[in-house]
Amino acid sequence: MTNKFELSVISAESKVFEGKVESILVPGMVGDFLVLPNHAPCISSIRPGFLEFSEGTSDKQRYFVSGGIIEVINNSVSVLVDSAVAGDKIVKDDITNLISEVNDRLSAVDTINKDDLGLRKNDLEEALKQA
Amino acid sequence: MPSLKDLKIRIDSVKSTRKITKAMQMVAAAKLRKAQESAERGRPYAEKMRDIVSNLASSVKNIAGDNKFLGDGSDCKKFLLIVATAERGLCGGFNSSIVKLAKSRIAELTSQNKEVKILTIGKKGREQLNREFERLFIGHVDLSNEKNITIDTARKISMDIISRFEDGEYEVAEIFYNKFASVISQIPSSYKLLPVSFNEKESDASNVSFNFEPDEDEILNEIIPKSIATSIFSVLQENAASEQGSRMAAMDNATRNAGEMIDKLTIDFNRSRQAAITNELIEIISGAEAL
Repeated sequence: MTNKFELSVISAESKVFEGKVESILVPGMVGDFLVLPNHAPCISSIRPGFLEFSEGTSDKQRYFVSGGIIEVINNSVSVLVDSAVAGDKIVKDDITNLISEVNDRLSAVDTINKDDLGLRKNDLEEALKQA
Repeated sequence: MPSLKDLKIRIDSVKSTRKITKAMQMVAAAKLRKAQESAERGRPYAEKMRDIVSNLASSVKNIAGDNKFLGDGSDCKKFLLIVATAERGLCGGFNSSIVKLAKSRIAELTSQNKEVKILTIGKKGREQLNREFERLFIGHVDLSNEKNITIDTARKISMDIISRFEDGEYEVAEIFYNKFASVISQIPSSYKLLPVSFNEKESDASNVSFNFEPDEDEILNEIIPKSIATSIFSVLQENAASEQGSRMAAMDNATRNAGEMIDKLTIDFNRSRQAAITNELIEIISGAEAL
């Protein structure tokens, strides 16, 4: 018997994906983690990176997300993302653009927020390697 | 009585006004549909965001340690009123109804000796409030270059608002906008953005204990700016839809009034034409009789 659970990936401007999936690989703020059926309820923030999930026998689907929040509750998973692009459509330039955007902000802000932005930059560069 | 030529000119001018209002009404109707669609698309995100925040809140409630964004804002002194209006006029009472609500709130707060600051979104609100409350202004957001409202715009506004909050410029933020009830009815409303209080809605998942990663405080610091951006986004979207709805109704009215005016003027015109003809006939007949 294959266990599946509900997944919805929602961005502020539209619904990106909705359906039943077997597993999701999430780029969590602290580290990547895998969500399988009957996962304990949790809320976690997501760093920029690739969200991977498989609907069943077919190939994995991959989305590039630029940070967001995931909520797991009673076998239903909601991922709220700032923006999501399907993995095969992502262009490396997009990520490079994001990096330069962060660089601009890095030079503009004071030291307090610098750590956050620096981390974000690292995440983006990591994602660029995977793309 | 105006001459025939004067009447003719007036009829033509009202006719071209009617053409313009008719066109504006149709443009507003098309834009309204688009605005409603995009508001519709953004709704699942906003709803889910609210769910997560209230789930989070019910878990945090039990934990000591105050987050800076949380509170009920009861004994605060400094208020920031964000007045969201349109960039354009000619949309009935849309702008002035928001301004009116904001003004009554300003009066209420100043009578309680609270400090009030104003930030406006959209040109029309600034114009109307500037006359009376210029010294209270701390900022203005110009949307005239934004054809459609994007989440990025909302994020920028919310970042500005949050950094002002962190700097201690104000303690409570309220936003004023027109709620979109239906095409013909928009309700001026206000909504408290900051600090976030959770007493409004009891979540149904309050007995589920969540694992947090990283800890609650960090997630709150991450999610609250996001949820504020989302709130601003949905407020701006509702406002955009209300503006178009309001303009459509106003222009529909104007078109109808112009039609009535044209009918009336045409009757006047025909009557004076007939009077002129009768006059001429009388002159001819009496001239013939005299011979």
